[in-house]
Amino acid sequence: GEKRGRVPAAMEAAELRVGFVGAGRMAGGLARGLLRAGKVPASSILASAPSDRNLDAWQESGCRTTHCNLEVLQESTLVFLATKPHVLPGVLQEIRPAVGPHHVVVSLVAGVSLQTLQRLLPAGTKVLRLMPNLPCVVQAGAMVFARGSGAGDTEAALLKSLLSSCGLCEEVPESYINIHTGLSGSGVAYVYLFAEALAEGAVKMGMPGGLANRIAAQTLLGAAKMMLETGEHPAKLRGDVCTPGGTTIHALHQLEKGALRATVMNAVEAATNRARDMAKD
Amino acid sequence: LQKMGVNFTVSNKDTVKSSDVLFLAVKPPIIPFILEEVGPDIEPRHIVVSCAAGVTISSIEKKLSTFCPTPKVIRCMTNTPVVVREGATVYATGTHADVEDGKLLEQLMASVGFCTEVEEDLIDAVTGLSGSGPAYAFTALDALADGGVKMGLPRRLAVRLGAQALLGAAKMLLESEQHPGQLKDNVCSPGGATIHALHFLESGGFRSLLINAVEASCIRTRELQHLADQEKISPAAIKKTLLDKVKLESPSLSVASANKVSLFTSKS
Repeated sequence: GEKRGRVPAAMEAAELRVGFVGAGRMAGGLARGLLRAGKVPASSILASAPSDRNLDAWQESGCRTTHCNLEVLQESTLVFLATKPHVLPGVLQEIRPAVGPHHVVVSLVAGVSLQTLQRLLPAGTKVLRLMPNLPCVVQAGAMVFARGSGAGDTEAALLKSLLSSCGLCEEVPESYINIHTGLSGSGVAYVYLFAEALAEGAVKMGMPGGLANRIAAQTLLGAAKMMLETGEHPAKLRGDVCTPGGTTIHALHQLEKGALRATVMNAVEAATNRARDMAKD
Repeated sequence: LQKMGVNFTVSNKDTVKSSDVLFLAVKPPIIPFILEEVGPDIEPRHIVVSCAAGVTISSIEKKLSTFCPTPKVIRCMTNTPVVVREGATVYATGTHADVEDGKLLEQLMASVGFCTEVEEDLIDAVTGLSGSGPAYAFTALDALADGGVKMGLPRRLAVRLGAQALLGAAKMLLESEQHPGQLKDNVCSPGGATIHALHFLESGGFRSLLINAVEASCIRTRELQHLADQEKISPAAIKKTLLDKVKLESPSLSVASANKVSLFTSKS
């Protein structure tokens, strides 16, 4: 179609060349998710990092690596920016000359706004901002992205289609990105904490730790799956488990006494506020 | 009640003789004595309905069986809003009460609100929830009104609006298929006023307080029932306390009448 006329056939997923500037944990997680899903062959992925430290794992997966950020821009059409926030401005200055109208630049850098990105890149560059979370590695991620002024429906559709292989991927207004951090980016850690506590409770009651951990994880997985597949309100699903006078309602009472709900709300709020504050720095 | 045209008598015996459905509406410790008194006059046609908290069907049947081989006993738990026909009533039928007897009571109580049959062992829980429930609501309404007043509303308006808010919410829930959690979500726009307020409620352990309250009321009901079973309170002491109270409140009435009023004349 005409829409795709400006963008070469390289945008077809099969021929897509994907680059990562920065090769840390989040970039690695995304890449691993894409590979596992079979969306992009390892040979089409190029990652750059200042030292070899992070690059070994990429090489082991069959991806190409380099120490030169410019090379990533020259070789790739879809470029993920995954550096630490304080390093990014310098990196953008460095790669700016190599950024062209065919590029789709997706920033994973926490706290750096689309406005800032667009200011430091050539005018009209197709920029999007992505906030993933770590379970992208196992293709059960939760990701939101927002598009900059140069990015259109094609780019949004490309990103969504590619990343849906790593989990849930939704387009949002940029203002939701910090909230996503508080809910799901950091949220994964809240779940780990809860799982640990569940298992500890079981250990206290006499179950071996390893078994308790596995069961705790499976319980969370199962509950989450039911929420996603039935689409029912969690309060309703909760009620379904509570037989009158039974074990569950007794346990829930303990959770309510501990004001678990308010504490969790506090956590999401704290992480979101921190994300907002950090973005201002 | 007399102003409403209800027949009034000072004789418990007369009440029993001219009734078919007999509501025992005395305080729980008094029940045994009333049963002793009216036992001889109980006929097969009588349906004895006890509203006394913590008094079991079996204890009533036991007391009456010395006078009547197959007494029809129904135990019920209702609540104060029956007065505005929005009561919440449950009942459990005794050994000799027929299905029709239960249905008759249900019909009567359904005219003043919601009424359904339950197993007797759930009645204590019902006491904790809807028996005491109006008190929780009044407390909440008082506090909500305080909140309104603090933020500038005149007291009368604050009370009126608070009551209407609870009334409306309750009605929505009763008429909706949706879970209260979903209805709550429907009110909470993102980042808005309501969700901020709810966070405060959660921080204060609002939910657990309500669970605690229902539990405490239910447990206390059971305790009182145990105390009654053990008959720890001396009968003379009970009678005296009651008589004194009655004399203080209505010096013109005689003692026995304070206990019971017949709501029905004979079935025709």
